[in-house]
Amino acid sequence: MPPGTVYLTLRGIRKSFDGLTALDDVSLDVDEGEFVCFLGPSGCGKTTLLRIVAGLEEPDAADIRIAGRNLADIPARERNFGIVFQSYSLFPNMSVARNIAYGLECRQWRRNDVRARVDEMLALVNLAEHAGKLPHQLSGGQQQRVAIARALAPNPAVLLLDEPLSALDAKVREELRAEIKDLQSRLRITTIMVTHDQHEAMEVADRIVVMNQGRIEQTGRPVELYERPANRFVAAFVGRMNVVRDVHGHRVAGIRPEHVELVNGRGVDDDCRTARVARAVFLGSITRATLDVDGQTLTIELPGRRDDLVPGGDVAIRIPRAALLHLDGDA
Amino acid sequence: MMARVLAGRARPSFDTDRLAVFALAAAVVVPLLLFVALPLVAILRLSFVTPAGGIGLANYATAFASPKFARIVGNSLLVSATTTLITVMLAYGFAYAQKRTAMPCKRALGAIALLPLYAPSLVQALGILFLFGRNGIVNRTFGLGIDIYGFWGIVIADVFYSFPHAYLILAAALAVGDARLYESAHMLGAGAARIFRTVTLPSTRYGIISATFVVFTIVITDFGNPVVIGADYGVLATEIYNQVSGQSRLELGAVIGVVLLIPAALAVIIEKLIASTQHAAITAGARPLSIARRPARDRAAFAYAALVCAGIAAIVIVVFVASFVRLWPYNMQPSLRHYRFEVQNGIAPLWTSIVVSLMAAVIGVFAAVTAACAARWLKPVLAQALYFLSVVPAAIPGMVLGLGYLLAFNDPANPLEVLYGTLLILAICNVYHYHAQGYLIATTSLGQIGRVFDETSTCLGARATRTLRAVILPLLAPAIASIAVFFFVRSMVTLSAVIFLVTPVTQLAAVSVLLLDDSGNQNQAAAFSVCIMLIVGVALAVFHALVTLAGRWRGGSARAVAAAASPYVATHA
Repeated sequence: MPPGTVYLTLRGIRKSFDGLTALDDVSLDVDEGEFVCFLGPSGCGKTTLLRIVAGLEEPDAADIRIAGRNLADIPARERNFGIVFQSYSLFPNMSVARNIAYGLECRQWRRNDVRARVDEMLALVNLAEHAGKLPHQLSGGQQQRVAIARALAPNPAVLLLDEPLSALDAKVREELRAEIKDLQSRLRITTIMVTHDQHEAMEVADRIVVMNQGRIEQTGRPVELYERPANRFVAAFVGRMNVVRDVHGHRVAGIRPEHVELVNGRGVDDDCRTARVARAVFLGSITRATLDVDGQTLTIELPGRRDDLVPGGDVAIRIPRAALLHLDGDA
Repeated sequence: MMARVLAGRARPSFDTDRLAVFALAAAVVVPLLLFVALPLVAILRLSFVTPAGGIGLANYATAFASPKFARIVGNSLLVSATTTLITVMLAYGFAYAQKRTAMPCKRALGAIALLPLYAPSLVQALGILFLFGRNGIVNRTFGLGIDIYGFWGIVIADVFYSFPHAYLILAAALAVGDARLYESAHMLGAGAARIFRTVTLPSTRYGIISATFVVFTIVITDFGNPVVIGADYGVLATEIYNQVSGQSRLELGAVIGVVLLIPAALAVIIEKLIASTQHAAITAGARPLSIARRPARDRAAFAYAALVCAGIAAIVIVVFVASFVRLWPYNMQPSLRHYRFEVQNGIAPLWTSIVVSLMAAVIGVFAAVTAACAARWLKPVLAQALYFLSVVPAAIPGMVLGLGYLLAFNDPANPLEVLYGTLLILAICNVYHYHAQGYLIATTSLGQIGRVFDETSTCLGARATRTLRAVILPLLAPAIASIAVFFFVRSMVTLSAVIFLVTPVTQLAAVSVLLLDDSGNQNQAAAFSVCIMLIVGVALAVFHALVTLAGRWRGGSARAVAAAASPYVATHA
């Protein structure tokens, strides 16, 4: 099957817990070798969806197929999906090597094959020297790499990652994020990752599925979601978005903070306005300021340090017509 | 890439994991029906079989008509209520001293308070008689005429006997608290007494209610103390024994058993209902208490706790001493003559007890862990049913269970009659007598092992059996050891259930103590009690040594297991 063909199909997935709808008729196609992120706020149904795909949760209704094959009656144990949880979930009574070998032993691999595969996986995640250690002797980041190696060892059909980085420190999280992306592109394994962190999703995903209240709001490449959000929810959840009223003929429109320009003097065209600085924060690579424009609040981001943005002072800004996003939905 | 998908099975076969779970559930339910439900049915049935051979209330009519019966029911309720009141108050003070003051020697005092758990119940009565009995040291030395036999004897003995149970429950309740409540009460100008009445007492009310019902159940079902010190003051538990063993009136024994079952079962049911509603006692954001030093309060607490412990220790010490002198209290020459065990079966019952207790430990671990695992993997509704079945035995008094066993398994019509008169039936009886407590240790520990381990294992392709063997059981190892010790210790000291099941060949140590005391050999009874307590002590020491060793053994491997499971091993009685 060449890359790019549909591999995993989800159709009409519904699930409710005690009358509360967790998933409301969700359908999705995932291509072979694709890295898909389920992104959304907590309680949006993304983890439930992942667990249904894994076979750990019983859906109320669903049609899930992998390479055309229906998974309805196939228990989680036989789906051959690798899964990594937020809590690492390494078996604390087993060494790193035995953890990685676990799935292979379940599949009755021969002893020599198991050993070779474990070594291969250890090398893959750069933990060869830790083979004999117990999980509690490793750092959080190392533990999660072992968990990934363990999930990948039996050649799973799909890799499922359930908020794999959320339990880690910010710095380790960024390192491991890059490592996961790198592994995935090398192995070309179809991967679904659940996250509530937009930066994480944008960095690793080929395609992001934005979810809210049990429904898919929008599916698309990170750039598409950022530049052409389908609605206000997506606009606000992926990146920052100012919602402005009555500009350039739009009743309601969106503009990204970095698209608002600061101009000298009176401004060059009728896209220009005068604004009062309410607050300005220097964040290192950018300065973020909150402005008051004709009674509306506008957040802008400018590169570097900007000492000219003094709270209480007036500045001239330009809202480029071309950068305005039409927002539909619950305006 | 197709090869990656599934192991290549044409059609999904029957799910072996579901089969495994149902097999587990069956391995729990079938024995519970055989060894709990069947004896209960036997006792109920016999109580309704009339002398003429029909079915009716004739036995109940006979029992209720006799004034003696009404008196015994009254005695039982009065003794239990009095003891409960005293024990809960004493234990509350002791638990308060332990958890809410900075008194010295907390660990030692706490350990002494638990001593009565590790001796047969009649040892309390035996010790009190050595002190205050007709031939006790006090009456003999001072020529007093204190008459301890009867109501007050039973009450005092049972206060000591039930004290550790109440203490453990109340200590758990007093161990948690929200510092913010105490600070705001203090800031509002409330004095110590007012804070105690308006904050401490209300926040521990569930513990108090729970302790009340637990102690009431223990006392009303206790047989050992009343039989030794009760004299003519009959209670339900001793009356069952009199009717069955003394007068061979099994049907009247059954009637009294049913009567005893009612308050005991009610107390257990109410306690469980209350326990299930007390989850939100501490809200999120609560700050743990920090105990400041307050010399006056701490000294008072220490004095009180030391006094209580002195009482508890005195009984054990007196029994020890009495077993090592020629004839307490007349001839205090040191002597080992009571350890020759020249009567009855000699030392044999001690070995029998050890064998039975080891069997009970093995069977008990199997039963408790199987039940907890089955409940973990069953659907919630079925798991609830299994929980209910597993804790039901807590509501059955030992005397009732024992009589039920006698009726059910000494019956030629029952294919399991082969068990009667064996050591196995004694072990099984002990396991199901204490099934609820063993199950609760197992299920609490298991609950602390995240379900994510099961899910990870499943997704990696493991069957339920492999998950159990490779992941769950190793993580549960410390809890398993703890359950084994629990069943071993209970089996060593219990008397009530097995009293009906022992034969001359399968006599147990605790029964020997009773028979020796009954035949006037109090010093030998003391010696036998000391042996029981020593064996229990050895078992506990071995357990603690194993847990400590497991930490060092094989580098970190066992330590990791302990690290994963040790905080979750439920403390047990």
